[in-house]
Amino acid sequence: MDGSSLKSAQLLEQMRLHLATDAGKELTKKVGLVYQLNIAPKKLGVDEEIFVVDLKKGEVTKGPYQGKPDATFSFTDNDFLGIATGKTNPQIAFIRGAIKIKGSISAAQKFTPDIFPKPAKL
Amino acid sequence: MAMRHLVTGQTSCPADGASSSNNPLNAFANALLGQSSKTPALKELPGSVSVPSISDFGTAAPLSTIPGSENEFKQDQRPLARGADFIREGPVNDWVESFRPPGVPEFGAAESRFAEFDQIYNNAGTTFGPPLDGPPQRVLSGVLHSFLASGRAGVPFQPVPVPALGLSESDKQCIRDRSCIMARHILADQPEEYIQAQVNTLLHSLDIDNRMRGPMHGQYPEMEEYWNQSQSSMGPASMHNASDKWITEFGNQNNNPESWAHSFEQQYGPNGWASEFEQHQSQMAMGQMGGANMANLAAMEQSRMLAQTLASNNDPKFQMSRGELIIEDNQVKQGSASQSNGWADEFQTQYNANANSWVDQFAHEELSQGADKWASEFSSEHHQGALNESWVDEFSKLNVTDEWAEEFSGGGFGESSADPWADEFQEQLSSFKQSSGASRGVYVFSEMNPYVGHPNPMQEGQELFRKGLLSEAVLALEAEVLKNPENAEGWRLLGVTHAENDDDQQAIAAMMNAQEANPTNLEVLLALGVSHTNELEQGEALRYLYRWLQNHPKYGGLAPPQSADSPYGPDVVRLFNEAAQMSPEDADVHIVLGVLYNLSREYDKAIASFKTALQFKPQDYSLWNKLGATQANSIQSADAILAYQKALDLKPNYVRAWANMGISYANQGLYEDSIRYYVRAVAMNPKADNAWQYLRISLGNASRADMIAACDARNLDALQKEFPL
Repeated sequence: MDGSSLKSAQLLEQMRLHLATDAGKELTKKVGLVYQLNIAPKKLGVDEEIFVVDLKKGEVTKGPYQGKPDATFSFTDNDFLGIATGKTNPQIAFIRGAIKIKGSISAAQKFTPDIFPKPAKL
Repeated sequence: MAMRHLVTGQTSCPADGASSSNNPLNAFANALLGQSSKTPALKELPGSVSVPSISDFGTAAPLSTIPGSENEFKQDQRPLARGADFIREGPVNDWVESFRPPGVPEFGAAESRFAEFDQIYNNAGTTFGPPLDGPPQRVLSGVLHSFLASGRAGVPFQPVPVPALGLSESDKQCIRDRSCIMARHILADQPEEYIQAQVNTLLHSLDIDNRMRGPMHGQYPEMEEYWNQSQSSMGPASMHNASDKWITEFGNQNNNPESWAHSFEQQYGPNGWASEFEQHQSQMAMGQMGGANMANLAAMEQSRMLAQTLASNNDPKFQMSRGELIIEDNQVKQGSASQSNGWADEFQTQYNANANSWVDQFAHEELSQGADKWASEFSSEHHQGALNESWVDEFSKLNVTDEWAEEFSGGGFGESSADPWADEFQEQLSSFKQSSGASRGVYVFSEMNPYVGHPNPMQEGQELFRKGLLSEAVLALEAEVLKNPENAEGWRLLGVTHAENDDDQQAIAAMMNAQEANPTNLEVLLALGVSHTNELEQGEALRYLYRWLQNHPKYGGLAPPQSADSPYGPDVVRLFNEAAQMSPEDADVHIVLGVLYNLSREYDKAIASFKTALQFKPQDYSLWNKLGATQANSIQSADAILAYQKALDLKPNYVRAWANMGISYANQGLYEDSIRYYVRAVAMNPKADNAWQYLRISLGNASRADMIAACDARNLDALQKEFPL
């Protein structure tokens, strides 16, 4: 996550730490799927940075997944943050064309705000 | 009339892809026949003039309203000269010239139809009402132009001195109504307050008082009758040539929208489009009220079913029009990014109207049987309709059409009907509107403010803030800064209050104003740095924290001025560490360091910095909260809760700390507990959107879906009763 200027990178860093906690381990048991996130700074599909949220192994890494992720999402920095913090409903974002999804739909459906830790505010 | 039909009939089938409105024969015919045929027609009503010419535009005009279609493209690119030359030779020349608004060089061929319209309206004006000819008309159109231009450019409209125009009451009424509608339309992405302010400025310039719509004028009974017919259920409004003129000018100024304006006027009568907007306004308003809107829900259901049908239909015509809409949809989104793209921009503002004519055309061309019902559904719910189109497109890309659609309707997401989905959609629309205003740093004032007119709102605000009545303090301070916009301290305290009330967007907006009034206030700079950190906006945060250092009387010398624009994180940290060595007992330096380490996600160092600062400022509740938040973000939730507790002991109404408590419990998987804290936070500040969102998530996680409805309705009583702390 270092060196990324995306806002999402901060949240994903928190996610990485979160997965080491008891609540995070619970999450890997419950979901058990691998998501690849292609996050664009401004415009969908342009200058994407790729992250993998591996809820099988319980880790977050930068770069494409080695193998086939259960679902791959493409969205912008802001849209991802909106989804992760519950501001944006993923279905609505999908309908608006703000998310592109590849892979299993049932896996995609489990990609909801509650898998992400919430950032506390200073 | 028949001859005109014959000639203009050609417009619907341009042979070589040339723009239909570019047809010189058509322009000529319109000019000639339009002039000779209007005299008898005008004996009746202006609206009725347009009726016989429906066949002229019924097919051609809607075609060109689809952005991205060939016609549009050509219209944009084509030099205007050819058409202009032609029309200059026609008998209509003088008419056209006399109507050329200032600032618009020539009427192109594309405008020739408008020229005809102008004549009609001009004549109507002389027949039915006082004309706005001569200088006053020029003045008026000039003012309206600059209003439109400022709206599009996104800059506030500047009041201009205008000589007395001698407008009649009905003129004023009309301008007032139309400018409200136009402003809402052009400034659709702006907050309501801003729009109203703009309209007020405009009306003030024109010496029109902005009272609410008056009773209908009884001067022209025939017209009223027609008017009532044409819009059946709409409220009062009046029709006049001055404002119709405005539409015309608006059209002329932007090659594109005339076609939609035309098609609309053809279909709904001259004022139809306005009523159309009003309908949308009221619809939107209804939707935003959040109540169960049965009509909407039914239509949502309808369009969902339609989408399924479309998705499984392989008719190539369907596929094509779907593609067109997708292009529209994309353009809508890009419109805001690339302002240079004239029609995309335009389209964004005229989105509503276009969607309608698309539907009409679609119904005409593709589904003559049985299409009416859904087409009208669509036109009343075109927002959702258009979105559903892209949804369908997604399906075809995914190749999982049916399965997904089934899952979707079958409640694969945990909610079993379309209703919550529809609700959410409405919510989404409104929240979208809100956030787009706030994220630009525009401060959004409360609508009803009892402190406006208070003799000393500043003192009152400080008092309320001290008492911990944050939401109340916000109102008093808003009244203060409305009275004294240059009061930096008023803005600063307002920003602090918002931050403590867990609303960083408003905090940033207020602090920006404070900074404008006093660019070197250290507290303001630090607060901006913190709020931007919370919004995860690293670059902004760094800039403000760096400026803090630059403007500090003691450490300013440390900061080289050249890197102020884009300071490099590690450099800034190094400079602050130097400052900390200079005076190790300055708590503020350690606070800024703590924020900086949060930015670079070095949480252990951040915690150490805040702890150091707390040694010198143990009573600073916001500092305890900063420590807690840092601990929470580095997954030391148990410690974080102790720190928050400390903050709350010092300031029991600290909404941010309550919300952060909730977050800590939620992140530990203790959802039931988190709910109680979120409820406490939103009870103290019902405008804390973040806390509402988190509350909703926690309710879902805690298997308390039964309370989600109460959360969506923001029913505090029910929530507080169910989840007492």
